[in-house]
Amino acid sequence: MPMEFNRMKKWQDKLHVCIRCGYCFEFCHIFKVTGWESDTPRGKLIMLHGMMNGYLNPSEETAEKIFECYMCKRCDAACSAKVKVTELFTDAKADFVDAGFKALGTVSRTDPDKCSRCRICILACKHEARVYDAEKDEIVVDRVKCQSCGTCVAACPSGAAYSREGYGLSQKELRESVKQFLEGVSS
Amino acid sequence: MILINEARSGKGRFMEKVNVQKIIDIVGENNVKSDPGELLVYGADSSVHEAPAWIVVRPENARQVQAIVKYANAGKIPVVTRGSGSGMSGQAVPVKGGIVLDMKRMNRILEINLPDVYCRVEAGVVDDDLNRALKPYGMFYPVAPASSRVATIGGEIANNASGVRSVKYGAVRDSVLGMKVVMANGDLVDLGCLTRVEASGYQLDRLMVGSEGTLGIIVEATLKFQPLPKFRCMGVANFDKLEQAGDAIAEIMESGCQPSLLELMDNVAITAVNKTMDMGLPDVEAILMFEADGMVKEAVDFEIEKMKAVCEKHEGSGIELSYDAKERTRLFAGRKKLFPALSMYKELLACTSLADDMAVPYSKMAETARKIHDIAKKNHVIMTAYGHCGSGCMHTKILMEPNRQDQWEDARNAVAELYEYVNSVGGTTSAEHGIGLSKAPAFKIEKAASLPYMHAIKKALDPNNILNPGKLQDAPDDWVKATRLRYQVN
Repeated sequence: MPMEFNRMKKWQDKLHVCIRCGYCFEFCHIFKVTGWESDTPRGKLIMLHGMMNGYLNPSEETAEKIFECYMCKRCDAACSAKVKVTELFTDAKADFVDAGFKALGTVSRTDPDKCSRCRICILACKHEARVYDAEKDEIVVDRVKCQSCGTCVAACPSGAAYSREGYGLSQKELRESVKQFLEGVSS
Repeated sequence: MILINEARSGKGRFMEKVNVQKIIDIVGENNVKSDPGELLVYGADSSVHEAPAWIVVRPENARQVQAIVKYANAGKIPVVTRGSGSGMSGQAVPVKGGIVLDMKRMNRILEINLPDVYCRVEAGVVDDDLNRALKPYGMFYPVAPASSRVATIGGEIANNASGVRSVKYGAVRDSVLGMKVVMANGDLVDLGCLTRVEASGYQLDRLMVGSEGTLGIIVEATLKFQPLPKFRCMGVANFDKLEQAGDAIAEIMESGCQPSLLELMDNVAITAVNKTMDMGLPDVEAILMFEADGMVKEAVDFEIEKMKAVCEKHEGSGIELSYDAKERTRLFAGRKKLFPALSMYKELLACTSLADDMAVPYSKMAETARKIHDIAKKNHVIMTAYGHCGSGCMHTKILMEPNRQDQWEDARNAVAELYEYVNSVGGTTSAEHGIGLSKAPAFKIEKAASLPYMHAIKKALDPNNILNPGKLQDAPDDWVKATRLRYQVN
């Protein structure tokens, strides 16, 4: 899919500031669970650099990675080169949205079948990421504004607002992970 | 320009050579990636180099590593072993493509044996995690590279890493007792032993230290550890002349002192932290940081006073000493913040890891720092001199405009001139970061006499040249053209 980097182009000369030391790894919750370097801020910056310089085609897979971020900003604080990581990712998300990519990553969403249209989630959202679209009669989430904080998920009385699961955080998954670890040690 | 996507097309070498299903059968679908973005991420590290992998594979145990290596050896497919990719010279960059073996899933601490004072860990264990596990026992693993929060033990061994404490505790090679290694034919072998001394034939475990993944794949290591010192005292001294600091370093080492840290910062480094971090360090030619540690306060006092006296003798001024942890952090803050300070030194300038970790004899420290400045000026780049002078290690970085082609010519000349000097005074190309790609030309000149023997060892252990090919003695002679550079060069 062709892509314009209207917001990202202002970072073109700044992407080299990342010295790729990898110190952000330790602070990224998503990486700590998945273990894939492509989930780290460094990995995402490498992919963005590749796309902006024409040797990596933008794809839904890459967009999905960029949208997978809880905006905790621990990487911003830990960055040894003081790269404004989350600000940069926010601009990248906007460019992906403009180019028509459908990626959601950790962005919260609403199941229209369960949603009662009470709009509590709109009031609860600190980031003004949710609006009610009267024409579609459903809650629409702004993928750039959403910071995946989970407040809407907690506030929704109908269990309709949800965000992606699968980061190994549930008790069941944790037990499974510990079991696998112990079996590995004894093997 | 070749798009990474082409590597995956029917015409690419990737599809011809790697049977993805075979790899999935070994490690499971969730541990294999071949998306172009992933291949790019796993083809980069902290160096100036980039080259996409063909496939990324995460093994969970030695058996899986053996199976992958056997498969790769049969098909003559390159295998590039990777820890966290924090290397600064391109060691983990798959310059010939192939399978990137991400070892981070093998991150179990298998044994901490206090009576025998050793621990066994898998290769993917992160240095800081090991130290967190040892701390409750009053012990520590002392290698301490600056990247300890991310560096894996396997990567540290493969690069013979060291850090600020190497002056007292040595490099990785001084902490390794043994290891388990998967050889190029897929055999799993035990090297070394559990004892401090061994005189039983060839020390093959030592051969693996610093081999940068070219001779075998380290899957497990047996390491010795040290008791945590009860007292630490740090001192700082300012010097108007770089030579005075250099003389102080040589005399501290000559006097029989046992510093646990001895660091130098030159004026470019001081200016960088003052400019970008507002640190307010004195505008002098050099700052020296020194530290002593031990179990008995009187012994630490003795060492630190001795070092202080040497600094005073060489006209060191503004000397401060402190046992307090917070104060020590304050005294060391300038050095700690140097890395980000250099990255932000000036807009458009990139802080590149080039000629980054030579070592020279103590008596040549000051002269080397001067030489670095002269060479930088001559070649229109900015270079700084700092480092673990207690172990002879001098760090630098080249600050340059990476988008300009002519600046890469300048960098190439600066690197060559600097290493020519280092070689002439009996120094070595790399003290702790390894050779990889960007230091290979200088390494080949330094080790010219032993290169045929290195080639012979490589040929004997890896006849199909599958293990991290194109590195060390086999790396290209022109590092600038060895791979695509990570910067957009116009």
